[in-house]
Amino acid sequence: MNIFLHELKSYLKSVGIWSLANFLIILVYFSAFNTIALEAVQLEEMLSSFPQELLIAFGMNDMNFSSVLGFFGVVFLFCQICLAIQASNYGFSLVSIEERELTADFLLPKPISRGKILTAKLLAAFLALTITNLAVWASSFLVINLNRDGRTYDVQTLVLILSTIVIFQLFFLSAGVVISLLMRRVRSVIPLSMALAFGMYILNVFGTMVGEDKLEIISPFRHFDPNTILANGAYDLPLVMISVAVIVVAIPASYILYGKRNITAAV
Amino acid sequence: MRIYLRELKANLKSLLIYTGVVAFFVVVGFSKFSAYAENPEILEVLDSMPAALLESFNMNAFNLTTVEGFFGVMFAFVALILGIAAVMWGSDIISKEERDKTVEFALTLPVKRSTLITGKTAAAFTHCVLLALATWGLNAANAAAYDPEPGFYRFLFQGMAALLVLQVIFLAVGILIGSAMKQHKRAGSVAISVLLGTYFFSVIAGLREEWEFLTYFTPFAYFDPALILHESRVESVYLWISAGVVLVSLAGAYLAYARRDLYI
Repeated sequence: MNIFLHELKSYLKSVGIWSLANFLIILVYFSAFNTIALEAVQLEEMLSSFPQELLIAFGMNDMNFSSVLGFFGVVFLFCQICLAIQASNYGFSLVSIEERELTADFLLPKPISRGKILTAKLLAAFLALTITNLAVWASSFLVINLNRDGRTYDVQTLVLILSTIVIFQLFFLSAGVVISLLMRRVRSVIPLSMALAFGMYILNVFGTMVGEDKLEIISPFRHFDPNTILANGAYDLPLVMISVAVIVVAIPASYILYGKRNITAAV
Repeated sequence: MRIYLRELKANLKSLLIYTGVVAFFVVVGFSKFSAYAENPEILEVLDSMPAALLESFNMNAFNLTTVEGFFGVMFAFVALILGIAAVMWGSDIISKEERDKTVEFALTLPVKRSTLITGKTAAAFTHCVLLALATWGLNAANAAAYDPEPGFYRFLFQGMAALLVLQVIFLAVGILIGSAMKQHKRAGSVAISVLLGTYFFSVIAGLREEWEFLTYFTPFAYFDPALILHESRVESVYLWISAGVVLVSLAGAYLAYARRDLYI
């Protein structure tokens, strides 16, 4: 419990900053929705008269800015990038920070098993991520309802989109923990979390833009692509299961790896 | 000179990793492109369209059936990867000394602090050039299989030159962040925020006319691949801004680091 509370306290400021960042992203970008929606209707009318092949050839086949959720999908993607970076940051630093800052010497001699330490730390990180998650939920509903200007949207679909955040965050958290435990030494966290989060992002954007599915099926950005959810009104379950599988494998693997880990000490 | 060589070696692994990442994306990208190249269905539709219509499309979008058009689409992603590399190298090369507690050693050497920065900047710049060259080579090698027109290599060269300028901007900003942040631990996070912020700006700036002024604040929007492809030029105002940002950042870095209160 002490570890849990201590960890949670150390996350407070970071959670505040990330929640604020997400709120600002949603607020700033979505508040432009009304003007864009008007222009988008005309643009989409024009585009719809062109043959599909032409639009594909020029990479303009999925533009849907005139509906509330179509536009929200674009904004949500930005939130996903932030959430991914935050979760991988927490994941990569979760246990590696103790070795880097030489506090493992203090923590590990305590009369508590490594398994319990990891549980407390994971729960604290998860709770911190959940607070950010709730902030995204609240900001989304607030901003959409302030700016939709009478246009209707399907609340159920919005709930579907926002519900993906939990698994999305857990993917990056658990992947971060397990990768950091596979490494002999983590010198600095940010390059790693950037690589994980942005790597997955670029993989997906690039994949959806041209060609058929290849490697991007490993990317959570693909599993929880808001546009797909919008189009189908449901999750793409096989893809979601990939994310779930990664989490289910990564967390027990972290316990095993951490239990056996050779910890670098100060002296 | 020793600092320069030392940093070149120390950062080599990171350079290799980023080169690997670029290679991976280029290879995956071109394997996707193979489905579009000279695709008869799409070409047939393109042939049947009035020329004037295609003309208007071509000015702001890319024809994915040609290698040029395809690289035009890839450009934004390559820019993002190279930008991340540059800003991370820039901030890390300065702040790592304090993080790894080697700053005591580095600064008791008989060199001025400014010499230290110069050596580090030169090393990071060299790596940016090497990464850009590798990207260029990888793209040219992969494109060769599709028999591109001579115009493609010109476009590729100019595109890569533009990306090198983008890298230098982010490198300079990264070095400024590494030198000027009071807490060395924050340098990385601030560098990311700058990168993310400017990237979001560039995505959103195109959505709405009133937001076009945002393009001045994001290097990702300085070099429009469409303009490079069709008119082989970039807006000169952006080049002036780039030069200004780089000079101010580097000058700021030297000033800030000379007075820096080091964490020991």
